[in-house]
Amino acid sequence: MHRRVYALCVAGLLVSSVFGLLVPWMIREAVDAVSAARAGGPPGEGRLLRAVELMVLFTILNAFFRFLSRRSLFVAARDVEREVRRRLFSHVVRLPIRFFHETPTGDVMSRLTNDLSAVWIFLGPGLLMLVGTIISWLLAVAFMLRISPMLTGVSLLIAPAVVYLSREYGHAFHLRHRLVQESLASMNATLQENVSGIRLVKAFTLETREEERFSGECERYYRQNLAVARTSAAFHGAIGLLAGVGVALVLFLGGRAVVQGAITLGGFVAFNAYLAMLSFPTMAMGWVINLFQRGSSAMGRINEFLRLPVELPEGGTGPAGEGATPVGDAVGSGIGEPRLLEVRGLAFSYGGDGRGEALRDISFSARKGEVLGLVGPTGGGKSTLFSLLSGLYPAPPGTVFLEGIDASTIPLPELRRRFAVVSQDPFLFSDSVLENVCFGQERTDPEAARYATGLAGFLAEVEEMPNGFDTVVGERGISLSGGQKQRATIARALCAGAPILLLDDALSAVDAETERVIFKGILSEKGERTVLFSTHRMASLSRCDRILVLADGRIVEEGTHDDLLSLRGAYFDLYSRQMLARELEESS
Amino acid sequence: MKHGPDDFFLDDHMEIRGIDRRLLARILRYVLPHRRLLAAALAALICGTACQLAGPYLIKVFIDRYVTPGQLSGMGGWVLLYLAALVGAMGFVYLQMYAVSILGQRVILALRREMFARMQRLPVVFFDRTPTGRLMTRLTSDVEALQELLSSGLVSTIGDVSVLAGTAVILLWMDLRLAVVTFSVLPVLVLFVEVLKKRIREANREMRRKLARMNAFLQEHVTGVAVVKAFGMEGKSQQRFDALNGEYAVESVRLTNLYSVYFPGVEMLASVAVALLLWRGGVGHLSGAVTFGTLVAFLEYARRFYDPIRDMSDKYNILQSALASSERIFRLLDEEVSPEYAEARQKPALEARPSPSVSGSAAVPAVEFRDVWFSYPRPAGGGTIGGEEGPPVLRGVSFVLEEGRTGAIVGATGAGKTTILSLLCRFYEIRRGKILLFGRDIREIPREELRGSLALVLQDPFLFSGTVRENVAAGGDAIGPALSTIGVERFTREWSEGLSTDVGERGVRLSTGQRQMVSFARALAREPRVLLLDEATSSVDPVTEGRIQEALAGILPGRTALVVAHRLSTVLSADRIIVMHKGKVREMGTHRELLAAGGIYQRLYALQFEGGG
Repeated sequence: MHRRVYALCVAGLLVSSVFGLLVPWMIREAVDAVSAARAGGPPGEGRLLRAVELMVLFTILNAFFRFLSRRSLFVAARDVEREVRRRLFSHVVRLPIRFFHETPTGDVMSRLTNDLSAVWIFLGPGLLMLVGTIISWLLAVAFMLRISPMLTGVSLLIAPAVVYLSREYGHAFHLRHRLVQESLASMNATLQENVSGIRLVKAFTLETREEERFSGECERYYRQNLAVARTSAAFHGAIGLLAGVGVALVLFLGGRAVVQGAITLGGFVAFNAYLAMLSFPTMAMGWVINLFQRGSSAMGRINEFLRLPVELPEGGTGPAGEGATPVGDAVGSGIGEPRLLEVRGLAFSYGGDGRGEALRDISFSARKGEVLGLVGPTGGGKSTLFSLLSGLYPAPPGTVFLEGIDASTIPLPELRRRFAVVSQDPFLFSDSVLENVCFGQERTDPEAARYATGLAGFLAEVEEMPNGFDTVVGERGISLSGGQKQRATIARALCAGAPILLLDDALSAVDAETERVIFKGILSEKGERTVLFSTHRMASLSRCDRILVLADGRIVEEGTHDDLLSLRGAYFDLYSRQMLARELEESS
Repeated sequence: MKHGPDDFFLDDHMEIRGIDRRLLARILRYVLPHRRLLAAALAALICGTACQLAGPYLIKVFIDRYVTPGQLSGMGGWVLLYLAALVGAMGFVYLQMYAVSILGQRVILALRREMFARMQRLPVVFFDRTPTGRLMTRLTSDVEALQELLSSGLVSTIGDVSVLAGTAVILLWMDLRLAVVTFSVLPVLVLFVEVLKKRIREANREMRRKLARMNAFLQEHVTGVAVVKAFGMEGKSQQRFDALNGEYAVESVRLTNLYSVYFPGVEMLASVAVALLLWRGGVGHLSGAVTFGTLVAFLEYARRFYDPIRDMSDKYNILQSALASSERIFRLLDEEVSPEYAEARQKPALEARPSPSVSGSAAVPAVEFRDVWFSYPRPAGGGTIGGEEGPPVLRGVSFVLEEGRTGAIVGATGAGKTTILSLLCRFYEIRRGKILLFGRDIREIPREELRGSLALVLQDPFLFSGTVRENVAAGGDAIGPALSTIGVERFTREWSEGLSTDVGERGVRLSTGQRQMVSFARALAREPRVLLLDEATSSVDPVTEGRIQEALAGILPGRTALVVAHRLSTVLSADRIIVMHKGKVREMGTHRELLAAGGIYQRLYALQFEGGG
């Protein structure tokens, strides 16, 4: 489809160039008519008028066709840009989470922005310039040859040198410009560091040192910029000189040819006009070549991303198989109804080579409607467990079962939709509260959002906001406190209506009383919903049906609150400390 | 404070309507020191313009004197003259461009330095409420916009105007009637340019806004990709992205269309002018009124006449955005400096010799807080100083710390422990009460002396990029003793570059524990009279933990130090323990005394430090 547009566009450029090049030819006609009449030839008014009329006509046609071809080419290029961007986003968003941990955000963004615009610049303005220049060249040379082969030969002598010089210049400019960019980046880094460390700067009276450091960076940037200016001046000077010599040569030889009667005065004037028409595109050729190089390397970087394997929708790992059948004996207890969630012998390490094991031999199960508490020291593996359960990282086959079905055989989107995760650090999009709460739903449902927000203990505050649920939060809107963000993410999870709710230390930023209220809300509502809840607060844990104590990547204790207390083990220690804290809080 | 989505995007793109003279005058003040450069640029500009304008006239003479009469002798010489004019024009133009870029770069170099210096002296409150990104924009894009004005806007506008004026004068002088014909298209052209440029400007702004919105969406979905995946919302995000992508495409196509009309249109109008000229000139030539050379020269002049007009409205845009930027720059430069810097200028040195009390006689405590009340200023919208007060963080805090003693501040999160250290450094001004350092009110001690006698270790051990040694040296001169006391070399020894190892941006190449050790060493290298230590809460591996405890044991005994303590060992080794609760000092004394008293501390101790209860 785009090929046809491009073909049309080339045709349009061809037509417009023909008309454009006929304009100087009409100047020739006009001048010759007049000078012939002056030299005693036939009266020139008629011929002059016709030439001028044609000139206006060709001018208009040239502009019209240029408009058409330019427009269609640019629109096609924008289409391609949009399509590539769409594909790139759709691909990137489906890459495994590991990719995002390994690739700096800046790198991903630069391919989605800078590289894409480099591709567009080549496909749009670059291609227009390239095709336009080639066509103009071929046609102009033909016209010029008709006027004077000798003058054409002389002017063509200079052209390769101009193209060569402009290419070299483009290259040198690009290199120096990169140096400028690098020193700019380093200057920005210094600045950023200074601002983030401003307290230390002040505390250690490093203001002068910092000023010197920054000054040095500025100075370097200044020098790099001047180097660019010098390069630019030198090349432009050289090209200008070369072109000047060419023009002067044509003037001299052309003038002589007119005197000798080899060409007409009109031919002489037209020739100079052609030369002027060619000078800019010739100089720009080098630039176009550079655009092409940059565009193709940008496309290469984009393709690099597009070639990365996405998460298989059929399941976490490669061999999907048709194995989505209930595994009978996975139900350890042998009771007829399979457990909603069963984890068996789950082990996991981030390194992939068994180095730094995050989880070891985790086994537990949860019935429908059960509320499981998870407790243990930071780094004990709670977050990792949540990531694996929800399929953010693929769990090894045969370790996680949902209603008796191996999770690794469940299509990823479906698997993930069974869990609603609230992670430790709450992430909200800069969008309205409503859109944020409804993020996990296909359709925005204000009623459901209201209800969920109420359960999360966030409704009153939302209603106090300037625009209620339509208030924009985050970078583009008002900023929420840590506790507010956490409650918003809980509302989002509740609103998604998933059968299993995973709360990963999701209430650390709210006070104990608020946590109690929220927890009560979730429990009163639990019904069919299963909850896995990690927290440090005993008050909430004591309300759970069962508690798992996770330390060093394994489950060290398991049971009800009372069971665990009577064990007088790790859980009991935690409990005693918390009781003291409460007493302390009440005493003040 | 409440930004609508559109305000956010427009914040840094606001435009100034009209031109503010005072602003221009202030910009000019930065140009003035480089007036010789400016004069050189202007001289080159004038010469270059003259050469440029001479070109077509030389051709006219060439045709009339040599070509038409068939005069071959002297032709070569005249062509050389023409070449000289061409080369001169080229040379002068580049001389001028080079001079102007030096000028622009020098001005922004000075401006950046001044802005940075100013920034260093702004109160910590300013940094609390100004997003880093915004500050970065001031020193980068805003400064660049101003540079653009100086380098390509200002002088080349003068150049354009002089080319236009010069051409007009020459044309009128050569042939009045032909000149009128040449100018006849001008009103149409100017109208065309103005109308289209206005729409192009609007379309461009709209496109940039859509682009910013799309890129913000992208950025968010890359950083928040885990949320998208967790909810299985890839499809929904894709749809929303497609919509944004489509909106952007629509805007960009609109802009493309406008440009597709604009460039061919301008050229067409110019070409029509040439046709008119050719016709009138041709008729004039037939009647003998116009020489052939004049006609050709007119054609040449007409060709050059339209480019400056086409560029004119771009120049106006540059000027406007530069003015908007410089207004923001000057707002930063006018931001009030922190009082401790302002005073330092007023009273250069209180006295060279410390007053008798500062020598630290036993009677005068090293640190004293006398009924100190403090609240953080509420983050006001505009970023101006002196907003409302927030809720009080410290409520009548009083305590003393004798020289040579270690005071440990303990208490729950939010009790105001870290604030005490910040106030002693005079990062903020207190509302009520007095803070004394060796008997002197810290507000009366010159900044360098005050901060020179303190050394702060932050909870989050921030390192500057550079080597380990450079980081320690940032504290002070006593590098050797500091390194050995802390035992930094015990881990740097294992690295091939030792102390010269680059720590990376913010010290990322070091582990948390190593960063803490380096930041201890940095503080010690200062040989502070009072050490301020905000212990990190983050846990480290047992080996590093041991080393840190060892290091602290090497630092604290016998040293005047105020420590926000999280480690049992630190608390135990303190001479005085200050128990903070909700902005008040609730208990004070030694470990033994406080345990015996059976108050908050006793329970806190049980809670935090006693294993298992």
